[in-house]
Amino acid sequence: MAAVLWVHLSKAARAARESFADDTLRPVTIKQLVDCKEAYPSAELAIDGMPTTQVTLIGQIRAVNPQAINITYRIDDGTGLIDVKKWIDADKGETTPRFGVDTYVRVYGRLQSFNGKRHVGAHYIRAIDDFNEVNYHLLEATYVHLCLTKGTSADGQPQQQGGGGMDTGGDSMFVDGGYGAGGVGDSAGMQARLSPCSRNARTVFNFLANSAPGDGAHLNQVASGTGLSVRDIMSATEELLGHGLIYTTEDDETWAILEC
Amino acid sequence: MEAIANPRITCVYLNSYVGKNVIIVGKVIQLRGDEALIDADGNITAHLNREAHLSAGNGVQIIGKVNPDLSIKVLSSLDLGTGVDYNLANSVVEISHQHRNLFSYD
Repeated sequence: MAAVLWVHLSKAARAARESFADDTLRPVTIKQLVDCKEAYPSAELAIDGMPTTQVTLIGQIRAVNPQAINITYRIDDGTGLIDVKKWIDADKGETTPRFGVDTYVRVYGRLQSFNGKRHVGAHYIRAIDDFNEVNYHLLEATYVHLCLTKGTSADGQPQQQGGGGMDTGGDSMFVDGGYGAGGVGDSAGMQARLSPCSRNARTVFNFLANSAPGDGAHLNQVASGTGLSVRDIMSATEELLGHGLIYTTEDDETWAILEC
Repeated sequence: MEAIANPRITCVYLNSYVGKNVIIVGKVIQLRGDEALIDADGNITAHLNREAHLSAGNGVQIIGKVNPDLSIKVLSSLDLGTGVDYNLANSVVEISHQHRNLFSYD
């Protein structure tokens, strides 16, 4: 019975994570798009291990190639080149704006791979009026990359939350709620001890700190609360146990924060 | 896909990029015929091409090749107007050199 429940939970967690990747708008440099790889053929493209579909990028238009049903812009942000296809909406006809060569534009779109060639299917392209947006975007792309690969130090840790609906990638500068923000264990000392931990470990720790400081929470509660898979939670708690940040209470699958 | 990347640099990085194409964001200090003096964390001389339309006091982004005398042969230039945050631009250059895996091929 328990096993059935587990399978169900981890399936739900996985489904939540898939849709999460689809709903996350990630700021990227073009080099990241050119470099990113599928985990296995026909898998989702992943950047820093995070499946990535919706992206936003900036760049200068280097070439415009209008066709009957779409316009292909070749875009260069100084880190690489990528083709961005904007489909022409027949209903709007002539009102679809066109951009000239050398214009700086911001693109929101889907990363797509077709016959081994990568392009971005643009939902929306607009010209950049304030050049500072270009620099801001490059910093934001770096910031998100660092958050995902190294975690953050003290405050406002963006976290991956399966069902939480918190937009880690796109809105990263402002993520401050959910289990990302510290709770009971949010003292500077605790955060420092948490800093070498992985993202999942922090998520689990903060969930425990916020929801069940005293008695601890069972695996099932943690799974439904964080949206992580059972396997991820087991490795996250393993890590936290190793650092002496949590301890097991009633059984091996119930954990509580070790107050210091 | 071809690895065409133009690193973003400031004056202090010129030495390391002789013979390469780079992007420089700075402020136009002076225009002298087809030469411009550009401040990007230090003064850089740029040899402009015909198409360049710069104005003194405005920000500019130039893409060009670094000559052995550390001047720039401009391939393309873009006037950025007056609202450019140069500290921000210089920070981006620093960051892009600290996290090269996001910005450049080498």
